[in-house]
Amino acid sequence: MPQNNVATNTQLPKAIVSPELQQEIEQFLYFEASLLDDHLIADWMSLMAADIRYFMPLRTNRGPRERDREFSGSRDIAYFDESKASLDLRLRKLQTGLAWAEEPPSRTRHMVTNVRITALANPTEYEVKSAFLLYRNRAETQTDIFAGERIDGLRRIESVAGFEIFKRHIHLDQSTLLANNLSIFF
Amino acid sequence: MATDPWKSPADLFDEAAGIISPSIFADRDIYKLELERVFSKSWLFIAHETHIPKTGDYFATHMAEDPVVAVRQKDGSVRVFMNQCRHRGMKICRTDGGNAKAFTCTYHGWAYDIGGDLVSVPLEEKSFVGLDKSQWGARQARVESYKGLIFATWNMEAPCLSDYLGDAAFYLDAVLDRSAAGTEVIGGITKWVIPCNWKLAAEQFCSDMYHGLFSHGSIFTAASIPPSSLNTGRQFRAARGGHGTGFFVRSVPEMKITNAGERVAGYDPVADEKAAVARLGTRGGLFVQHMTIFPSFSFFAGFNSLRVWHPRGPDKVEVWAFTIVEKDASAATKEQLRISSTRTFSPAGTWEQDDGENWVEIQRVLRGHEARRTSFNIQMGMGRDYGTDPDLPGSKRQALSEDAARGFYAHWLTLMTQPDKAYAKGGNPLQAAE
Repeated sequence: MPQNNVATNTQLPKAIVSPELQQEIEQFLYFEASLLDDHLIADWMSLMAADIRYFMPLRTNRGPRERDREFSGSRDIAYFDESKASLDLRLRKLQTGLAWAEEPPSRTRHMVTNVRITALANPTEYEVKSAFLLYRNRAETQTDIFAGERIDGLRRIESVAGFEIFKRHIHLDQSTLLANNLSIFF
Repeated sequence: MATDPWKSPADLFDEAAGIISPSIFADRDIYKLELERVFSKSWLFIAHETHIPKTGDYFATHMAEDPVVAVRQKDGSVRVFMNQCRHRGMKICRTDGGNAKAFTCTYHGWAYDIGGDLVSVPLEEKSFVGLDKSQWGARQARVESYKGLIFATWNMEAPCLSDYLGDAAFYLDAVLDRSAAGTEVIGGITKWVIPCNWKLAAEQFCSDMYHGLFSHGSIFTAASIPPSSLNTGRQFRAARGGHGTGFFVRSVPEMKITNAGERVAGYDPVADEKAAVARLGTRGGLFVQHMTIFPSFSFFAGFNSLRVWHPRGPDKVEVWAFTIVEKDASAATKEQLRISSTRTFSPAGTWEQDDGENWVEIQRVLRGHEARRTSFNIQMGMGRDYGTDPDLPGSKRQALSEDAARGFYAHWLTLMTQPDKAYAKGGNPLQAAE
């Protein structure tokens, strides 16, 4: 984590992707968001690759010497640390009709912006960073707003959507979660 | 001295009749008294020993609403002191944890050593005459540990922690003493806010074996959790102190696999449980055991999620949860526990998320004037003798009972009807505590 007083020589990526690729990936992210907002969870789940790691670490307030420990580690407890199998378990839970935290379902709006794409070594794979604002309203008046960054791994495949997601790291901009649960997907 | 906001204690909880008043979950005056009479009188969970293994390691937490810092000392002991500068009350520690050499207030720069003693006051010579720094250290709580768990209290007259836990320690051991090596934490404290009264959560973990089938029906179905025969159910109500637990005497070692959705390579659920059963007997293989140590420390065994319900007003609780594992467990067992605990008992957890939903809705209903006057039934298991279990002292052979919940509220009522001696005498509560 860069310190406020130390320049890190951060620059624009040397190879900015083509406008066509930028648009193609942004359109994929909007499509994906619409599946969640339309409660088409099974369809959304089908975009997750067999090797998906869906990961939302915890976040803490740290002093200057320990700022690199702000996020919980890869082998610590997390809000989410999911594989394809465990995401499927979540889908089956929702499909029972008895999952009271989402029955009746939350109303959500996933807003995705600030999309930055980096080509990875494998020519079919991209790292895609984006900012999100997720609005959730449920029951009578409960309203939660989540903001943060997603760091996705996208892989081009032969499918209607054109990509699958093999990595989704979600950095939520909260340390103490201000919602009673995370029964929705990011 | 505060005036009791009730006519008769039985208006709040009538154990003989099995009736509870919803006002205890919603009334602001009752909440204020709870801070004084329940939380400042009880032993409160602070941290696990392995959260702060080395000298200077600190963990910032709360005792009810009061911010405190727990710090490992040079001699290996732990001090817990108010996170409040003695000059104007600014927090002296503004980070969640780490390692410190001192705690310096960012307001005027008063500095405290890792023991909480005041060691430096900027421009002291020029600004104060005869300031006795030894009298102005951070206020210290009394600290004791039980099998890796650090507790603290402001009540200098409280019984020692071991007596406070009493006969409940036997059941606490089901999660703390599965191996001679003891336990350690898996990194990460999950913190989240549920807009509900703290007792809804603490009581459920203390006693409620009834809600599982319905509240958690979706994950029971999705993870194919086999139903339990009722005659394997047990409930324990502590002889005193308000602690309680419920569970099934039934081994389901594959729980960590079915609820994680997958098996970590090399994880052997049967071997994992066998060692604990050899050490603890029946307690080594309990099913869905959950427990509350009064007032606000709870755990769910199996997924080993331990948590504090920090009260935040009558209608809000801040949950701080973490996971422990046996120190000598295999890497595969640790990883299996990590993923199963994350996936079940975190705010996103497939078990946890439905609990929060119930409590939030209850609390919203209790905004109503009439709703607060509409009494609740807490009679389950009353008037029947279910018999005891010689292997499990103090337990009744019935999980579907609210006996432990009644014990929780009976102890709560005892404390609530005992005014703080210091306040009663019109004395200085600070002097009384020190």
